[in-house]
Amino acid sequence: MGTAIQTPVQTPVFSVSGLWKVFGSKPERVPSDPELSALDPADLRARTGCTAAVRDVSFDVRKGEVFVVMGLSGSGKSTLVRCLTRLIEPTAGSIAIDGEDVRAMDKSRLRELRRHRAAMVFQHFGLLPHRSVLDNVAYGLEIQGVGKAERRERAAEVVAKVGLEGMEHRRPAQLSGGQRQRVGLARALAVDPEVLLFDEPFSALDPLIRRDMQDEVARLHREEGRTMVFITHDLAEALKLGDRIALMRDGKVVQLGTPEEIVGSPADDYVREFVREVPREQVMTVRTAMKPGACKGSEHPGALRPDAVVADAIKTVAGLGGPACVVEDDRCLGVVDHKRLLAVVAGVPAPRTAPEGV
Amino acid sequence: MATLTVPTSAGTTEPGLLKSRAAGKLLLLGLVAAVLAPWAASQWPGAAWPHELTVSLAKPLASASNWVIDNRDSHPLFLYFFGYISNAVVLSVRAVYLTLLAAGWTGVTVLGALVAWRVAGVRLAAGTAVALLSCGALGMWVPTMQTLALMVVAVLASVLVGALLGLAAGLSDRLNRALRPVLDTMQVLPAFAYLLPVVLVFGIGVPAAVLATVVYAAPPMARLTALGLRGADPEVLEAVESLGATRRQRLLTARIPLARGELLLGLNQTIMMALSMAVIASVIGAGGLGDRVYQALASVDVGAALAAGIPIVLLAIVLDRVTAAAGAGAGATGEPRTRAIGWPYALAVTVAAALAARLLGRLDWPAGWTLNIAEPVNRAVDWMTGHLYSGVPVVGGTADWAGHFTTWVLDPVRSGLLWLPWWSVLLIVAALAWSIGTWRTALTAVLAMAAIGVLGVWGPALDTLSQVLAAVAVTLVLGFATGIAAARSDRVERALRPVLDVFQTMPQFVYLIPVVALFGVGRAPAVAAAVVYALPAVVRITAQGLRQVDPAALESARSLGATGRQQLWQVQLPLARRSLLLALNQGVVLVLAVVIIGGLVGGGALGYNVAFGLAQGDLATGLVAGAAIVCLGLMLDRVTQPTERRAKKGA
Repeated sequence: MGTAIQTPVQTPVFSVSGLWKVFGSKPERVPSDPELSALDPADLRARTGCTAAVRDVSFDVRKGEVFVVMGLSGSGKSTLVRCLTRLIEPTAGSIAIDGEDVRAMDKSRLRELRRHRAAMVFQHFGLLPHRSVLDNVAYGLEIQGVGKAERRERAAEVVAKVGLEGMEHRRPAQLSGGQRQRVGLARALAVDPEVLLFDEPFSALDPLIRRDMQDEVARLHREEGRTMVFITHDLAEALKLGDRIALMRDGKVVQLGTPEEIVGSPADDYVREFVREVPREQVMTVRTAMKPGACKGSEHPGALRPDAVVADAIKTVAGLGGPACVVEDDRCLGVVDHKRLLAVVAGVPAPRTAPEGV
Repeated sequence: MATLTVPTSAGTTEPGLLKSRAAGKLLLLGLVAAVLAPWAASQWPGAAWPHELTVSLAKPLASASNWVIDNRDSHPLFLYFFGYISNAVVLSVRAVYLTLLAAGWTGVTVLGALVAWRVAGVRLAAGTAVALLSCGALGMWVPTMQTLALMVVAVLASVLVGALLGLAAGLSDRLNRALRPVLDTMQVLPAFAYLLPVVLVFGIGVPAAVLATVVYAAPPMARLTALGLRGADPEVLEAVESLGATRRQRLLTARIPLARGELLLGLNQTIMMALSMAVIASVIGAGGLGDRVYQALASVDVGAALAAGIPIVLLAIVLDRVTAAAGAGAGATGEPRTRAIGWPYALAVTVAAALAARLLGRLDWPAGWTLNIAEPVNRAVDWMTGHLYSGVPVVGGTADWAGHFTTWVLDPVRSGLLWLPWWSVLLIVAALAWSIGTWRTALTAVLAMAAIGVLGVWGPALDTLSQVLAAVAVTLVLGFATGIAAARSDRVERALRPVLDVFQTMPQFVYLIPVVALFGVGRAPAVAAAVVYALPAVVRITAQGLRQVDPAALESARSLGATGRQQLWQVQLPLARRSLLLALNQGVVLVLAVVIIGGLVGGGALGYNVAFGLAQGDLATGLVAGAAIVCLGLMLDRVTQPTERRAKKGA
């Protein structure tokens, strides 16, 4: 999406540092013991019988961004997102929401956090089968003690927003998978939370429906600018939705960056292997591909925006039959030609020769 | 790759390990036996349980029962606790009974039909009306109302007690761990075992009958409530928690509604068990239909027994179908049920019908509308006695069969068991229980069997055991054969299903009527009733188990060219092993329940001791026999119940 307002001075919505979640008996000894915490998962299990699902994870979620946590199954991403609202109690580390310590919250404060500030969308929807769509959506409001008329009215608005008009009185069992997840999404939206947490929300859906739902989430984010934390195992989904991506392996974050950074400069062989098949021209932008430096002319042929992806630049360059300019605020930032674009697609260093002509 | 190969190699060696583990157990047991058996044999020679090892409970029990009888009207425990319970039960049963009588047969029929209509649809409403009218037509209106009144009170109390216990077990892991084995064990004990303790405290009468019924019928409600609360989809509960629900909100808005199916199934099972027990409790003063059957059987008046037995069967079928339909309708799928009629409307119609009957002076069942089936039935039975009992060319007669079964099967099995030295019986029990379970189950089984000897009823218990073994053998042969046929052919299954449905809902007591008509009294009819009672469950579990075998495994066997017989023996039966063991376990438990009741029709042994104790007011004999029945039930269940190693983790 790449349109998030990034103002580093703001307090992050979630600020996580040194977070550990260890399952097993006496888990607290693992993070505190430097020798144990350095072990790899198999050795740790052999030595202590414990499993470290989340190991020393730190990140900030900025206001208004879509923060994606991506990893294969068993990488600890689902545990991580549950730690954020303490659905799973973390073993060590700190979590803050808007600067407030989540781990220090008492029961009622924590309940308040779950009711108003962070709502979650689940992989298998987690709908109440004995309630209608409308009552499922209104359920969060009911928990808060909102009156029946008001909560139904508000739920009806949200149901319309996720495109389920006319289905208000159906039961979850009468809906398709995609529709059910729309109900799950509407239930989370109905409480108007500050952050939406998604736990692999679309993995149980068919590919086509999944694309629809991704577009739906992208649309909602465009319209409302709500902060989202999105867990997925699907790299394409992560690249499509994420402003920033944290890539997890064995409970650790192995790389944190924008989609372009992850695809363009993988931190290690694991990430490189992971992003090998990604169509780079769809992720990399011309800002990376261009040769910096203003062109001498004033025509600015092509006039590409710096955040345009390489695939678009290829079209432009092919149409022009020559190099194109990268322009931002009527200022030329650089020039791309077919060689540079091809180098990006091939994943090899850019040619040293300067673009000819222009 | 290293992490991958480790589990695979462990997986392949596991069967070998298991086999050697079983062999190790038996070897260990053999060693222990080699040391202990000669010592025991020399110490206490003879096959029967050594007299020195028995503890006579007759005196203490008799004095306890005398103490209870003497103090029933004076001791504060009775005055302020049991007395209140007893009075409350009597009053509520009486109130329900009078209400039913006040509503008259029209009112009750209309109410029954409307309730059935409301929860289960038009067809069952018609069935309910026909069933209730048939009860009247058989001249059994008043006994039916007596039984119904007792049932209503007992079911309400059972549901209340069961739901509360279930709620506790569903919410607390510790209570669940404590309650589960108790409830599981109560589930396998024969109904007869519950009668004497309540009689000891409350004396013979309606309170004892109601309380025995509650004790017998509450466990399924408690089990299923706990199961439903624990079985809720964890992701739904997590979603509810993620929205900030309090514990109370989670329970009321999610866990209980999600458990609705189990709760209604629990209600269904509780009602069916309560009916079964309410009928058996006639031997401790329940009155009503069961009493009519009991009296008629005592004088071998099959016609009268049938006239009271048919209403029991009709009640059972109607209650089962209506509550089952209510449970099915409550499923999460489908539209919310369109309300056929509202409750207030139904009540108004009922009152109107009752008033109309009262004004017309037709409150009681009209005398002229009664159909006397006892006489023609007895004539038919007499004819059967004359023509079919014996001397039928080629096939012989039913009494001949019963006699042959007794002399050729029951007698040899019984004398064989009695011939076995007592320590070898214990050894066999230990070996059986240990080979399919853990040392814990083996220990329970051995201790239960030893307790029977200590109680001094080794002989009668082995007599009962011989009947159980014979009945189980017949049940399994017939049941597995029928089950296999039903699993292999849809047509057989379709034909069997309604028969099994009806047979599974009938109370145990009713099965005694036809076998007495066919075989007279004795041990063979008791065994026959037990076989008929246990057969449907065995057939059903066998067929289900075979049908649930992974179709991919069957398909692959077929693709390799396996014949039907090879598929059955090499794929289906081995893969359905768990179900077959479950069928065996259920068969044993059900057979035992009826073999004990068979004491009422000449089955002798432990069941007779209980009945004798009740009839003669000799509670000590009855209580000892009851305790032995509990031990026998426990032992038989443990010997046939495979326990999983990791069973602790499951819910």
